[in-house]
Amino acid sequence: YSVSLVGPAPWGFRLQGGKDFNMPLSISRLNDGGKAARAHVGIGDVVLTIDGISTDGMTHLEAQNKIKACTGNLNMTLQR
Amino acid sequence: EIVDGNVKMTLGMIWTIILRFAIQDISVEETSAKEGLLLWCQRKTAPYKNVNIQNFHISWKDGLGFCALIHRHRPELIDYGKLRKDDPLTNLNTAFDVAEKYLDIPKMLDAEDIVGTARPDEKAIMTYVSSFYHAFSGAQKAETAANRICKVLAVNQENEQLMEDYEKLASDLLEWIRRTIPWLENRAPENTMQAMQQKLEDFRDYRRLHKPPKVQEKCQLEINFNTLQTKLRLSNRPAFMPSEGKMVSDINNAWGGLEQAEKGYEEWLLNEIRRLERLDHLAEKFRQKASIHESWTDGKEAMLQQKDYETATLSEIKALLKKHEAFESDLAAHQDRVEQIAAIAQELNELDYYDSPSVNARCQKICDQWDNLGALTQKRREALERTEKLLETIDQLYLEYAKRAAPFNNWMEGAMEDLQDTFIVHTIEEIQGLTTAHEQFKATLPDADKERQAILGIHNEVSKIVQTYHVNMAGTNPYTTITPHEINGKWEHVRQLVPRRDQALMEEHARQQQNERLRKQFGAQANVIGPWIQTKMEEIGRISIEMHGTLEDQLNHLRQYEKSIVNYKPKIDQLEGDHQQIQEALIFDNKHTNYTMEHIRVGWEQLLTTIARTINEVENQILTRDAKGISQEQMNEFRASFNHFDRDHSGTLGPEEFKACLISLGYDIGNDAQGEAEFARIMSIVDPNRLGVVTFQAFIDFMSRETADTDTADQVMASFKILAGDKNYITVDELRRELPPDQAEYCIARMAPYNGRDAVPGALDYMSFSTALYGESDL
Repeated sequence: YSVSLVGPAPWGFRLQGGKDFNMPLSISRLNDGGKAARAHVGIGDVVLTIDGISTDGMTHLEAQNKIKACTGNLNMTLQR
Repeated sequence: EIVDGNVKMTLGMIWTIILRFAIQDISVEETSAKEGLLLWCQRKTAPYKNVNIQNFHISWKDGLGFCALIHRHRPELIDYGKLRKDDPLTNLNTAFDVAEKYLDIPKMLDAEDIVGTARPDEKAIMTYVSSFYHAFSGAQKAETAANRICKVLAVNQENEQLMEDYEKLASDLLEWIRRTIPWLENRAPENTMQAMQQKLEDFRDYRRLHKPPKVQEKCQLEINFNTLQTKLRLSNRPAFMPSEGKMVSDINNAWGGLEQAEKGYEEWLLNEIRRLERLDHLAEKFRQKASIHESWTDGKEAMLQQKDYETATLSEIKALLKKHEAFESDLAAHQDRVEQIAAIAQELNELDYYDSPSVNARCQKICDQWDNLGALTQKRREALERTEKLLETIDQLYLEYAKRAAPFNNWMEGAMEDLQDTFIVHTIEEIQGLTTAHEQFKATLPDADKERQAILGIHNEVSKIVQTYHVNMAGTNPYTTITPHEINGKWEHVRQLVPRRDQALMEEHARQQQNERLRKQFGAQANVIGPWIQTKMEEIGRISIEMHGTLEDQLNHLRQYEKSIVNYKPKIDQLEGDHQQIQEALIFDNKHTNYTMEHIRVGWEQLLTTIARTINEVENQILTRDAKGISQEQMNEFRASFNHFDRDHSGTLGPEEFKACLISLGYDIGNDAQGEAEFARIMSIVDPNRLGVVTFQAFIDFMSRETADTDTADQVMASFKILAGDKNYITVDELRRELPPDQAEYCIARMAPYNGRDAVPGALDYMSFSTALYGESDL
């Protein structure tokens, strides 16, 4: 499923994982009432694309930077 | 002539006489004498055309009259042809001269005088002419007397001639009859109808052409005879008496005989012709029948003597027999024809056919040939039947041979196949089974050989028959293509294959035994190693689960195990060696052990892994304990909980087990969405790789982390803050200054630019970097 969080940051979620951790990039925590929570993002959901780009092979830092680079809206596709 | 009553002559004579007595001027009778004389002149000169006496004056002027008279009586005296009417003088003179010289008549007239006078003196001329008359009439009298005598003589002569003629005719006729009768009495038969018919024709000719004239002759003879007799009677002569044998009666008799002979002849001719006709017909019939028969028999002898059955097959012989049967009935049908021919020949003989010998010869030839044909037919029949029998026997034998040879051939081929059958056996039982089967097979060989002999025997019998009876075997066995040679060849082959198979089986047996040995060897080993590994595994597991002594103790214990395991490696290697042998020997199963090499390998590797892992775990636990300051009691507590919830003693917790564990440790994980979410969060931490299980290490990590005071990411962040001089960002220089060069570059390369409100160029965001280090970022 896709979400488009209206900026600016903070988006209100904790990102976990990455290629360097050998773990899929997923949502590990949601801030109550945060934008992510309000967009019905779920804990444990795997992030598939960030701003249209696949997260396949991304390190944690790369993913982090990608998200941070989204100044306007943050568009992501996730899997529950 | 006067005797004959010639009136005119008599008158003439009378005139002459009268004239003689009254030569000068007798007036009364003068006229009569004159007329007579004139008549005499006219008569005598009648033949001479240029003379026309009408009177005694002018008619005599040309002188031809006188010449004619002379010439009439004495032609040699005047060449009358040379006289011309227009030369009267010459004529007259000639006549006067001749008369004077030869006839003794003096010249009483003068030629010139006659010519010169218109009308000569009638009396003078009459007188001169009467002189002529007297001169010739004397001759005339003599002539007449001579004539009379001649006449009488002529009559005599005539009669004699007639008699002669009669005689001649009679003897001719009799001669002819004499000749003809034998001809008519000839009963010599002719041979051909033609000749006979010719005879008939001759007879017809005789009747039509030759006899009628003779009949005429006979008639004539009779007439002549009668005429002669009449003539003789009339002339007062004696009757004619024919010579002996020529009498009328003789002639009649002879004629009668002739006619008799004729009749008999004609009858005979017709009979003969009938006979000949019949003979001809018979002969022709004979010839025809003989020819037809001969043409039928032509070539039959040659045909019967054919030796075609010597090279025939059984079916051909049967066909020949049928053909022969047909021929035999044909022959029988011809029998009566031969008899007919013989009958005709017989008849011809009886009828005395002229060519009987050749007919008989031909008939004999036909009969002889007929007998010969009969004999040959019989012989051929016998030969054919004999050959048929032989061929049938042979055929039977062939069939028998074929019936037995085929299955035997099949058996041999099957045997060959079996004997060469490659086998793959894996057990001694299998090879033994094959060996047993092979022995059984060998037991059947003697009987098979007997069968082979029997089959060959049949073939030999056939050969014997062929040789003995010289039957031509044009073909081979029509029922099969399997030759004795083939059979023997295959038999030999089978014989050869048997020992080969013995050999092969033996070798295989040995191989199987060897394999068994290998198996046993391997099995024995595996059965030791396997349990050993298992035991060790269990022991290691127990150690890790148990809680005797300190972690160090555990570690030492484990390291001892590790050593013993390492020492055990050769055994594994040896087993590998055995296994290789087994694999090379293509042994696929081993009932001596339930352990496969793979099992052992896997077990071994598992063991190695387990011991390493367990050691690692213990080491980590030590580390963790030291790092987190977890006491041994806490560790034991953790251990106890974990063990308690590790119901299947797998060394790991499943999700449910883990959940229960968490609950027991005081974590509030409800069965609601939030509870599920929380649990999921925790699971994602303890099982980041989503293996579905929680290891004890992960468990401890989690426990220690959750009970730890500080968030390690925060610690790092706090550390960076110190380095950054309490700023929210750090600069490159500060990193280079505070950290070792490698770490500094590492950080510089990875840190994202700081975009906070208080950012300066070259500021780096150490906060997100720190969280990123732990795989968590708050965004």
